[in-house]
Amino acid sequence: MDNLVLNATKYTPEIFFDYEKNLLKISGKSYPEDTSQFYTPIIDALEKYIDEIQDQNVNLVFDIIYFNSSTSKVFMDIFDLLDGAVKEGKNIVVNWEYNKENDSLLEYGTEFKEDLKYLPFNLQPKDD
Amino acid sequence: MIDNLFQFKEQLNTDNIIFCINGPFTQELTSGIAESLKQKMDLEEVSVSTTMKLFSVLVEKAQNIIHYSVERAAKSIHEDEPTGTLAFGIIIVGYENDHYYILGGNKVKNIHVKALTEKLSLVQKMNKDELKKYYNEQRKKERKENHKGAGLGFIEISRKASSPIEFNFQKIDDTYSFFNITTII
Repeated sequence: MDNLVLNATKYTPEIFFDYEKNLLKISGKSYPEDTSQFYTPIIDALEKYIDEIQDQNVNLVFDIIYFNSSTSKVFMDIFDLLDGAVKEGKNIVVNWEYNKENDSLLEYGTEFKEDLKYLPFNLQPKDD
Repeated sequence: MIDNLFQFKEQLNTDNIIFCINGPFTQELTSGIAESLKQKMDLEEVSVSTTMKLFSVLVEKAQNIIHYSVERAAKSIHEDEPTGTLAFGIIIVGYENDHYYILGGNKVKNIHVKALTEKLSLVQKMNKDELKKYYNEQRKKERKENHKGAGLGFIEISRKASSPIEFNFQKIDDTYSFFNITTII
């Protein structure tokens, strides 16, 4: 599979899916006008990748500054997808990075974590 | 036409209004207002938490106008298919009694007022824990529906507010009402 790389825009995050390193990163702001239009190809790629991986360790990093309510739903869909994959034996870890000064990001990260059964979900504070 | 622009601006300044925008809302405009507000608040060293709450409510309200306002410009308006048209509304951001606030308004159809009132009254009465629970339930529940938004906007707005949201509908004529919602951060 070819890596999936999308540059950030003012209201969509940078997507960097490095399949060779098994490192997938979503970073920046996410408030597109049409969330499903932006995320459908990304989720499709993710599903395909998850199908192909065996037992290697996969790291998915969310380094998000801000996301709107409809993105929140898409993120939940992504986490549910990963939760199902981990249940079936895949080794996937999510790292939710959050700015320590932005209490909403920790709160929302905690809520995603609470909604998941199998997926390891690390809340990682950062300074900037 | 406003014959004294200075007076108009002075009045807005006296009322501590930071932004006052009435007209067609686009994604670009939404981003422009949100980013400019954030820049201003960063320079004034407002806490990141407050800044991002205001950013969030502004985006939700502007996108609400974009998706749902029934006052629209288009070459030919298809009533049930507002996609691709330009939506009108008004947003005011101000500062009063040590709090930022956002007013947002747009035209809605009278036939939608009852359902909107029920939806808004429900979140208006909820405390923070109830809002959190409701938000997470709705996020799971509405998954299959083919919405541009997730239907979480009003809950999101309420979660970011420091006091319950206020809203009302003013009847314009037999078909339309003006919907407005006030949020204090």
